[in-house]
Amino acid sequence: MKPSDPNHPHGNCLALFEKLSEYIDRELDAPTCMEIEAHIQDCKPCQVCLGTLKQTIELCKHLEHRNVPETFHQRLKGAISDLAAKHTE
Amino acid sequence: MPKALAKTKRNDKDIQLVQAINTGRQDLFYQLVQRYENRLYNFGLRMCDNPSDAEDMVQDTFLNVFKYLKGFRYETKFKNWLYRVATSVCLKKKRRSKFAPDRELSIDDFLPSDESAIATELPRWASQPLDRLLNEELGGVIQQALLDLPKKYRLVVVLRDVEGFNTQETAEILGLTPTNIKVRLHRARLFLREALKAYYETE
Repeated sequence: MKPSDPNHPHGNCLALFEKLSEYIDRELDAPTCMEIEAHIQDCKPCQVCLGTLKQTIELCKHLEHRNVPETFHQRLKGAISDLAAKHTE
Repeated sequence: MPKALAKTKRNDKDIQLVQAINTGRQDLFYQLVQRYENRLYNFGLRMCDNPSDAEDMVQDTFLNVFKYLKGFRYETKFKNWLYRVATSVCLKKKRRSKFAPDRELSIDDFLPSDESAIATELPRWASQPLDRLLNEELGGVIQQALLDLPKKYRLVVVLRDVEGFNTQETAEILGLTPTNIKVRLHRARLFLREALKAYYETE
C-alpha cells in the first residue's frame, strides 16, 4: 500500500496508533484485536509502526544489568547495622 | 482472612522472610537487602542521572523499609511494596534533571509530520535479533532517552518494560489508575522509539 492510497482508511491507522501498546501487551478484547490484525495485514506503515514499537520494548526488556559496587554494598550494610543498633537501644 | 489477601500471601516468595523479620528476627533483614539490592540499584540507574544518586536511592529505600516494615499489611506482594517505597524516594528527590523538565507528552507529537515521513519499510534495526543489536553504545542511547523522558513517563516505562511489572501492579505502585498507566506507557514507548529511530538514522 502506498501512503497516499486514496482507498486506504487512514482514520483506522490513527485509531490503531493509539492502541498499539495495548495490542502488543495483549490487553485488548478479541474483537478489537481481530480488527487491528485485519487492518495491519494490508497496511505497510502500520506494520512498520508495530515492528519498531515491539523492538523498542524488547530492547528495554533486555538492557544490561549491573551489580552494586562493592564499596556501596559495604556502605549499605553499615548504614543498616547503625539503624538496627539505634532501633534496639 | 479474605480470599484475595490469602492469594497474595501464597504467591509472595518473600512472605516468610518478612514475617520472620516482623516477629523479631531483625537479623534476617540483611537477606532482604541481598535479595533486592541489585534490582533496586538498576532501577535507580534508570531513574537517576548518575550512579551516586542511584546508590542514595537504594540506601534511602532500604532504610525506609527497615523503619516501616512492621506497617506492611500483606495486601500486595512485598516486592511491589518495596518498589512503592523506592518510587516515593525517587519522587521526593527535589533535584530536577535539566534534560527532562516536567511536561506532558501528546500522542500528536509522535505522528508523522507529513506523508513523506511515513515509513513503509521496516528499518534494519527493528528486524535484527536483539543480541546483534544490544551493545554498550545502544544501551547508552536508551539510557539517555529514558533520562530525557519527563519523570512521570519514565517511572511508568521503567516499571513496566525494564522491571517487568504488569499494568495492575504498576498502577498500585504509583497510586494511579490502570488506564492512566496505559496512556503514559504508550507515550513513553513512542518517545523511546523516536530516540532509537533518530540514532539509527544518523548512524
